[in-house]
Amino acid sequence: MARSSVYHLGVRKSFGLADVVMAMGELWRRRELLWHMTIRHLRGQYKQSVLGYAWTVVNPLSQMLILTFVFSHLVRIQTPGVPYALFLLMGLLPWNFFSAAISSATGSVAGAASLVTKVYFPREILPIAAIFTKVVDLVVGMAILAGLMAYFGHPPAWTSVWVPLLFLIQLVFTVGLALPLAGLNLYFHDVSFLVGVALTLWFYLTPVLYPVDMVPARYEWLFSANPPALFIEAYRRVVLQGISPGTERLLMGLGISVATFLVGYYLFKKMEPGFADSI
Amino acid sequence: MRTASEVIRLEGVSKEFRRQKGRTLRELVACLMAGQPFWEPFYALHDVTLSVAEGETLGIIGRNGSGKSTILKIIAGVTAPTEGRVYVRGRVSPLIELGAGFHPDLTGRENIFMNASILGMSNAQVRERFQDIVSFAELWEFIDMPVKRYSSGMYVRLGFAVAVHCEPDILLVDEVLAVGDLAFQEKCLRKMKEFQERGVTIVLVSHSLEMVQEFCHRVIWLDEGRVRAEGPPEVMIPLYREAMLGHQMAQEAQLHPPFGS
Repeated sequence: MARSSVYHLGVRKSFGLADVVMAMGELWRRRELLWHMTIRHLRGQYKQSVLGYAWTVVNPLSQMLILTFVFSHLVRIQTPGVPYALFLLMGLLPWNFFSAAISSATGSVAGAASLVTKVYFPREILPIAAIFTKVVDLVVGMAILAGLMAYFGHPPAWTSVWVPLLFLIQLVFTVGLALPLAGLNLYFHDVSFLVGVALTLWFYLTPVLYPVDMVPARYEWLFSANPPALFIEAYRRVVLQGISPGTERLLMGLGISVATFLVGYYLFKKMEPGFADSI
Repeated sequence: MRTASEVIRLEGVSKEFRRQKGRTLRELVACLMAGQPFWEPFYALHDVTLSVAEGETLGIIGRNGSGKSTILKIIAGVTAPTEGRVYVRGRVSPLIELGAGFHPDLTGRENIFMNASILGMSNAQVRERFQDIVSFAELWEFIDMPVKRYSSGMYVRLGFAVAVHCEPDILLVDEVLAVGDLAFQEKCLRKMKEFQERGVTIVLVSHSLEMVQEFCHRVIWLDEGRVRAEGPPEVMIPLYREAMLGHQMAQEAQLHPPFGS
C-alpha cells in the first residue's frame, strides 16, 4: 500500500540487482491489482464469443484429434507403452500454455496504452496478468487429460504430484521470457510478429509431436538446451511413465528459469521509465 | 533545500521526448544505414524548478503544448524526467482522464474495485468506502450493469467518484471538470473545496482562469516548457491575460498587416 510513500525519481544512473529485489517487493504489495487484471483479461477473452468458456475445451480437443490422426495413423510415430493421443496431449497442453502466454504478454503493455500513459503502477503486472489468464486453459486441459487417461485405462501415475512444481518452474521461465518482449514491443511493433514466427519454429524443434528418443544423438544438444523440451519431458515422465523428473534435470530447469526471470525482469524494469513516452 | 512541509519538489527538471522516426525494424535499419539518428529530440520541459507545500493548491497555466500535462505526468510517476530530480511525498491520485482503467464488459461494481486497485487502494479499503463511492456517483440502480451501457456522463461520474474516494494526499487535476452535467460539476467543485479544507495538496491544470482564480493559492505560468512567472493568482492572471491578448494581437497583425506597410 503506497499510503505515505516517498519516492525519488530522477535520471537513473544505475539499476542493479538490489533494485530488482525492491521492484519485486512492490509487485508483491500490489498483488491485488494483479488479481484484478487477471480477472479482467479472463472476462474479456471469451466475452464476445457464442461458446464462451467452452472454447477452453474445444481448442485442445480438436487439436488433439487432428494431430493424433495425422501423426499416429498417417505418419505412425511410435510411443511405446502409451497411446499417442495421451502422449501428444501431455506435450501439447504445456506448449499451448507457453505459446499463448508469450504472445498475449508481448502485446499486453502496448494494449493498455490508455492506462500506462495516465497512472503509475508496476507495469510488469500487465504481462504477468496476461500469462496468468492462460493458466485457466491449462488447468481445464489437464482435467480433460486426466479424464482421457482414465478412459484409456492408463490413469495418471502417483508421481503426478510433481506437476505443480514443474508448472511453477515453467511459469517462472515464461514470465522471464515474456517481460523483455513486452517491453521491446513498445519500441518496435514488429516484435509481436517476430514472436509469432519464432514460436511456430520453436514448436517444431520441441518434442511435442514426437518423443525425444527419436532424435538422433548428434542433434540431442538442441533439446537439452531447450527449456520447453525439458519441461515437456518432465511432465511426460511424471504423468505418463510414473518416474520422478530426475534431480539433475530438475535443478537444470530451475536454474535456467530463475536466470531467465532475473535477466528478463531486470531488462523490463530498465525499459519501464520510457514506456509512457513510447506508446 | 527542502522544507518540512514540502510534498512536491521538482529540481531542474527537463523532459526530452525522443520522437522515434518509425515504429518498425525496417525503418530502424534504414535509418542506421543512412547514418542518421533514429530519435528526434524535442524538449517538453526546460529546467523547471518548483515546489508545492502541504495543503497548498497550485495552479499551472499556459498555452497548449507548454508542458503543463507533462509536469502532471512526472508528478504522477508515469514518465521519468530526462534531467533533474523529482521528490513526491504521499499518495498521488491523478484525475487525469477519468475512467481510463474501466473495462467495458465489467459491471460498475467490478470496475470500482478494479480502478481503485490501480490507484493503490486495497480491496478492504474499497469495501469500506463502497457505499460512499456509489452514492457520490449517483449510480445505485446501474451499479451491476456493464459500464459499456453507461452514458458518458455516468462514466465520468463513476471515475471521479473512485478517484476522490482514494483519500489522496496529492490530487492532480487536469481539465476534467469540463465534462458532466452542471449539477455534477458543482458537486465536484464542492468536493475539491472539501479536500482543500482537509489539507489535501492539489495541483490543478486548467484553461479556465476563473477556476484557477477561485481555487489556487499560487499560480505558475509555463511557456514553452519553462517557468515564465510565478505568484499569487491576483497578480498572475491579469499578467497572463495581457500577454495572451498581446500575443493574439501580434498574430492578427501578422495575418492582416496594417494599412500602408
